[in-house]
This record gives sequence, structure tokens and C-alpha cells, in this order.
Amino acid sequence: MNLSALIAAGEIDPARSIHWLWPAAAELIYGSLASILIFGLLFKFAGPSVRKAMADRTAKIQAELDASAEARSSAETEAADIRRAAGDIDSERQRLLAEADAQAAAMLSEGRARLTAEIAELEARAEADQAAAASRVGDELRTEISRLAAEVSDRLLADTLDDSAQQALIENFIQKVGSSS
Amino acid sequence: MSEARIEGYARALFEIARAEGTLDEVEDELFRFARAYESSDALRNALTDEMVPADRRQGVVESLLGDRATATSVQLVSMVVGSGRGRDLPAIIDRLVARASQSKDLAVAEVRSAVALSDDQQGRLRAALADATGHEVNLKVVIDPSVVGGLVATVGDTVIDGSVRTRVDQLKSRL
Repeated sequence: MNLSALIAAGEIDPARSIHWLWPAAAELIYGSLASILIFGLLFKFAGPSVRKAMADRTAKIQAELDASAEARSSAETEAADIRRAAGDIDSERQRLLAEADAQAAAMLSEGRARLTAEIAELEARAEADQAAAASRVGDELRTEISRLAAEVSDRLLADTLDDSAQQALIENFIQKVGSSS
Repeated sequence: MSEARIEGYARALFEIARAEGTLDEVEDELFRFARAYESSDALRNALTDEMVPADRRQGVVESLLGDRATATSVQLVSMVVGSGRGRDLPAIIDRLVARASQSKDLAVAEVRSAVALSDDQQGRLRAALADATGHEVNLKVVIDPSVVGGLVATVGDTVIDGSVRTRVDQLKSRL
């Protein structure tokens, strides 16, 4: 029973109170002891559960902090991967471009070399054809000249080899055979 | 025909001509006939055609040689042609001529000329060839227009070529 109730019940006369705020000494002692007892009991029986709740909360907060740190680390790792991948893509793009440039240069060089070779081959073939044609014409001319010369020589022989010439040839042969012994 | 068979025919012809006592005339006539045979496609075909009966072929021989050769020559050629050996006639005759010359210790000298040689020229040529080869020769002159001019003499394996045709051919070759 508190002071206000005692006053209302008329058991205490506020005018006779030692102090309007402080209770009597016994009451103060009993009240203090009771409070200590209550606090002790609270500390004994409710303390562990409070401490456990606090520890759980601390652990939960720590877990959430850890999860957050892990998520942050994972996000940073992923961000690094993404940045590295972006870098790789860029380097791959550079490599592909360089490779394409090299291939284009090689193809261009090869095409030029092939064209040069083909031009040289065509020129050589044309020169060979020209030489063959010239040789063929020369051969045909020589053949024709030989044929005409043979015809002329046969005609000349037929005209010039009269009987006296024939006899002269025969006598010449006999003389040569006779003198060769 | 095999060599042995050609030799057999030649020996038979030789023995027949010698037995008849006409060896010189026969070998000379047969030599001329062989050269004519070689130079005439028509004659060669007529005497070697298996589709022509033997008596027809023999008739051709008799009509060609009848009044130009001795009876022995005509009969010998007719025998060879009738037996189907016309294709080997030149070889048989050449072997006969060689055998006849050998029997007289002579070497056959075949001389090709575009024109005929006089007896004097043949005599001097015979002597010149004998001096050149070291053997007396049995001279056989063949008229061959392809020689054009000059002479080509063949004694055994030796050929002495003084023909205009050869010179012209050489000139053509050089050209």
C-alpha cells in the first residue's frame, strides 16, 4: 500500500508524516529489502532468459552483419568478375580485330603475290607462244624453201643432165673407182 | 619363206641352169627380171596374188619373158611363181646369182645407172671395181632412173655411191 492509498484511507495523516516524500524508516528498509529481493529474483530467474535473448539478438545482428558482409563481398567479387569479363571482352575484341587485320593483310599479300605470279606466267607463256610461233613460221619457211629448192634442182638437173653429162658422170665414176685402188 | 628354203630353191635353180649349160645367160636374165619385179608394183601383185590361179601367173611370166629370155629362165621363173613362191623370187634369184658368181670365184657387183652403159664402159668399170675391191667381179648393171645421173656400185657390203640423186638428197638435207 502506497502512501496515497494510506492517506486516502485515513491511516496516515499527511500532516503527521515525517516527510511528505520519504516513508517511514522501517518501511524504507522493508521496501528496500523487498526491492532488492525482487531485483535479485529477477536477476536470477529472468536474467538468463534476458541475457539469452540479448545474446540471440546480438548473434542475429552479427549474423545479419556477416550476411551483409558476405553479400557485399560476393557483390564485389561479382562486380570484379563483371569488370574482368568486360576487360576480357574488350581484349578479345581487340585480339579478334588484330587477327582479322592480320588475315586481311595476309590475304591481300597472298592475292598480290598470286596475281604477280599469274601475270609472270602469262607473260612467259605469251613469250613462249610468240617464240614457238616464230620458230614454227621459220620452220615452215625453211621447209618451203627446201621444197622449192629441191623442185628447182630437180628441174635444173632434168634440163642439164643430157647424154653427154650422163656419160661424163659415168666416166668420172669409173675413173674415181679405178684411181682409188 | 625361211632362209633354208630360199637357199634350197636357189641351189636347185643353179643346178638346173648349170646342167643345161646356160648358167651365164640364165643368171643374167633372172637378175634383170628380179630387178624389174622389184620396181613394178603391178608385176609384183600379179605374180604374188594368191587369188590368181597358178597357171594364170605362169602365163604372165611366159608372156613377159617368152621371147626375151632363154627357155630355161622362163621355166625356172614359172616354176617358182607356180609353186606360190613369187614373193621370194628376188631373194632366190639373188642367191642364185651369188652362187653362180661364187662358182666362178667372182663377187657380184650390182651397178645402178640412169642410162645404159656401153660394153666398153662395163669392161672398164669391171676392171676398176676389181682393182678397188681386190676381187674379180660379176658386173650386173641395173637401169634405175631414180639414180638421176652417175652410178651406184654395190659389191658385197661395200657401196660406192657416185649418184646425182645422193648429192641432191644431201643438198636437200642441208637445206
